Amino acid sequence: MKRTRALTVATALILGAAACGTGGGAGGQSKDPVEKLPPGKKVSGEITFWHAYGAGGNEVKQLEKKVIPAFEKEHPGAKVKPVTVQYDKLHQKLVTAAAGQSLPDVVRSDLIWVPELAELGVLVPLSEALPDFKKLSGQTFEGPLATNLYKGKHYGLPLDTNTKVLLYNDSTLKAAGVDGPPKTFDDLRAAAPKLAARKDFVLAEADTSGWNLLPYIWSNGGEMTNKEITKSDGYLNGEKSVEAVQLLVDLYKAKGLPKLVLGGAGATPAADGLAKGKYATTVEGPWIYPPVQKQYPKFKMKGAPFPKGDADSVSVVGGESVVVTTASKEKALAAEFSRFLLTPKAQKLMAETGQISVLKSLSEEMSKLEPSYEPYMKQLETARPRPTTPAWTKVDEILSKQVQLAIRGEVPVKKALDEAVAQIDPLLARG
Amino acid sequence: MDTPRKTVGLLGGAPRGTPPRGKSRRRTDLTPYAFLLPGVALFCLVVAYPLSRSLQISFYDWAVVPTQESRFIGFDNYLRGLQDGQFWLSMANVGVYLVVTVPGQIAIGMFLAVLLDARLPARGLFRVLFYLPVVTSWVVVALLFKYLFTTDGGAINWVLHDMLHLVDHNVPWLQQRWTGLLAVCALGIWKGVGWSMVIFLAALTGVSSELKDAAAIDGANAWQRFVNVSLPAIRRTLLFVIVMLIIGGFNVFISILLMTEGGPAGSTEVPLTYMYKQAFDFLDFGYASALSFLLAIVIAVISFVQFHLFRDDAIGARR
Repeated sequence: MKRTRALTVATALILGAAACGTGGGAGGQSKDPVEKLPPGKKVSGEITFWHAYGAGGNEVKQLEKKVIPAFEKEHPGAKVKPVTVQYDKLHQKLVTAAAGQSLPDVVRSDLIWVPELAELGVLVPLSEALPDFKKLSGQTFEGPLATNLYKGKHYGLPLDTNTKVLLYNDSTLKAAGVDGPPKTFDDLRAAAPKLAARKDFVLAEADTSGWNLLPYIWSNGGEMTNKEITKSDGYLNGEKSVEAVQLLVDLYKAKGLPKLVLGGAGATPAADGLAKGKYATTVEGPWIYPPVQKQYPKFKMKGAPFPKGDADSVSVVGGESVVVTTASKEKALAAEFSRFLLTPKAQKLMAETGQISVLKSLSEEMSKLEPSYEPYMKQLETARPRPTTPAWTKVDEILSKQVQLAIRGEVPVKKALDEAVAQIDPLLARG
Repeated sequence: MDTPRKTVGLLGGAPRGTPPRGKSRRRTDLTPYAFLLPGVALFCLVVAYPLSRSLQISFYDWAVVPTQESRFIGFDNYLRGLQDGQFWLSMANVGVYLVVTVPGQIAIGMFLAVLLDARLPARGLFRVLFYLPVVTSWVVVALLFKYLFTTDGGAINWVLHDMLHLVDHNVPWLQQRWTGLLAVCALGIWKGVGWSMVIFLAALTGVSSELKDAAAIDGANAWQRFVNVSLPAIRRTLLFVIVMLIIGGFNVFISILLMTEGGPAGSTEVPLTYMYKQAFDFLDFGYASALSFLLAIVIAVISFVQFHLFRDDAIGARR
């Protein structure tokens, strides 16, 4: 008896302790008027800057040895503490930090995470906070800028941009009797058996996520969602989208796509396969050049526009944005640092290491700085961002899984995309 | 439960007969609690509190950021879990893992234990070697197995394809469901076999050699001696190992996360990796918590069944 009572009391105590706080009590920071952060104010103090610049290339070195010192020189008394986070770990680290209210002042975030972080209420709406936002954003490309928009406000400024083009191995193509890089979906279909006869693959795709898939859909005249990004029914499962995915399914069946597309560990990575001549083409961003040149100095990688289907060649915009968090105690300094990262000076310094500038004014200079940028700069003119939705991580996972099933031949393409739409639309409807 | 009555209860530990004075009596009453306090406090802090908090979260559409409001949604997360095909697929996968690894570890562990129980040169060395995987880090060996089972250039495919020519193409081990699970099971068995071996070995050492000798004199061969003398003698140990391995099997996580990431297309997902994904990739902490309680219910039911088997066996042994 006595024991039972003691147990009950203990349980009640624990449950009582747990029941405290379901959030919302802290007074809703989002309702506070946005603090104005005008330019040119004298700033001092210390801010922390999280980024996922690659340590392999010269990106981190350039940031820490040139960009940040230049900023600190212009603003005596101000200090920026950079923290390198591996790209794969950054999303989770940001989310955990958001939950634990321990975000740094400034983050270089992948543009696809900005709406999600904005929805969590941890980002300063820069379009409201910066009186000179129009001026700053006006210098950048529209595609990358649009990815920062969430519910009518911009929560970040684009920092660097990129896209993917078709990269090819000339000698592999020639050996199979294929003349030049495939320009259309039909070219890909036609070249597949010729390369397969030599046990080579016409095209290497590493995954079935939106980043990989959307260029095929767009370049065939398909869409993933409506303009408002509120539904995918009739778009992602529309005729043109189904056709685009069918191309990949058919290529896989014809041994034109290596097992790399099945995901997981195992198959030869795209860059290695391309350099070794096993894969005739792949679709990748500009960051692939430095490591490939380092590892395969004899291999001359070439770039061409993304192949087109029933529409013009349209690739996908990637890149990063700079965001300021509501947790920052030095918002004025954080804003000033963000402005600095967008100056031609900082942009050019980072462009030397493989980061394509978002400034329209520098677009001409990019190809001169690095000849391999040329096809990318051209592709960027028509490249589009992935749908901006806070649910992107989940939407992407659903899409990736269904297309994976289609490529494995377990489900017909139309059925797979119908299923993806059925799962994605409730997420988009939540906004 | 039939706890022996003779034991002195925690409450009222003072011996009867000498009527103690009120003051000293109270002191003796409090003493055991003082000893219990650190343990109980620690238990509350690291087990009970997170557990009850997680139970609470499971009834909410939980907001990750404390400043945002969480919405109470009752049993919605649980209903969603019951209807989630992917969750049940992950349960089926852990079932496959159990069906393969539990008998695998027991059979091989027993085999090694019997071998190493015999007088063998360098017996100590072999015991250490077979136990070594148990003490290595899961992360390290999971990555190692991932490289072994790599499609292009992995050691397993090299042996099967390039050396023995048993297959005409590289097997995409970790890129499809059944071979992926097989690879993970292989790691599970390899890593766990040393543990069951040691437990069996300890039990086998305790089997009376007189009984074995008597059986030998009666004309029993080695196999008959094992089945009729040793095995019944270590029956309780065998059951203990089974229970522990099943509980451990449900906790399979690191190997899946590192070797297949639950892929391709979620086909090798196990409950723990699926929950992890819901919580830390999709920020759906409410749903992840609900799934963890659904899993707990399943494990509780299985443990309940095992407990009964155990008890029946104990009674049977006494008779």
